[in-house]
Amino acid sequence: MNLKIADFFVGAFSGALVASAVSYISPTFMPMLLGGLIGMILVVPLKIALMPLFGAFEVMIPLAIIGMTVGMGAGMLSFTTVSSNIIIASGALTGLTVATIVYFSNKRYTAL
Amino acid sequence: MSKQSYDGTARYFDYFAGGDMRRWSPSQSTLFKNLKGKVLYIGIGTGQEIVNFPEGLNITAADLSFEMLKRSNQRVENYSGKINRCQMDAETTAFADNTFDTIVTVCVLCTVKQPILCLQELKRVLKPEGELVMFEHVLSKNPIYGLPLKMMSFITEYLQGTYLDRDTVANVERAGFKIHSHKNVYLDIVKALIARPT
Repeated sequence: MNLKIADFFVGAFSGALVASAVSYISPTFMPMLLGGLIGMILVVPLKIALMPLFGAFEVMIPLAIIGMTVGMGAGMLSFTTVSSNIIIASGALTGLTVATIVYFSNKRYTAL
Repeated sequence: MSKQSYDGTARYFDYFAGGDMRRWSPSQSTLFKNLKGKVLYIGIGTGQEIVNFPEGLNITAADLSFEMLKRSNQRVENYSGKINRCQMDAETTAFADNTFDTIVTVCVLCTVKQPILCLQELKRVLKPEGELVMFEHVLSKNPIYGLPLKMMSFITEYLQGTYLDRDTVANVERAGFKIHSHKNVYLDIVKALIARPT
């Protein structure tokens, strides 16, 4: 698979995975903050697993952002009555959005 | 990271760097296409970049780790040029002054203990009209990208002996080089650089 296309799948997959894990843990104390922290910790082994396949920096940078943002969002949502499927879908969507932003940011940097 | 640690890293080095090589091969081929004269390839490692070199070069390749050098055998044999390998520390090489026309580094300045000392040593062995060709990663100036690099640096230092938080461009200039060509390969993190001694 083209690695540039793979980046979007990695983003969506990682977002869904982080959202799923945070939703499962469902932190009750400071859910947004703890969710972000859990997300940041969860993406570390994920980065190590994916880096050899998709490239170190191309995995490291988006996943670091995804871990925090998706973790915070999922932590906040898990405190409400929103179903876990919606939390996972929103995580995947956030992951995809982050991957897209990094893609266009990279285009701007490499055009310089 | 010590020589023994690099020997240990050699076992899984190809696996961890596999994704990077798939990503970076086209950019490296473009950077290396104008290599000329007597070339010093510092930090050959397992020789992953050899496939991106133009054919027929006369290369002296050095690495600190014997295990890494051993694992580069096949790639060196397949290269259609001349590669002489030696086990050597990039900060204290055994070459005479003004020996090489071109020096190539690929992810070396993020790994050596004292990058400025290493660059000064490379300047010593490089001819005054020579070129230092570098494919390196640096700390991003964008804090959104820079922070994750700082946070991951201690893990990569442990796994691969690589620092993610170095300002290599500034180090190159501090060591007495002038950046002649500067191209971003991924964000402002992975860079293809060409420098000349001032």
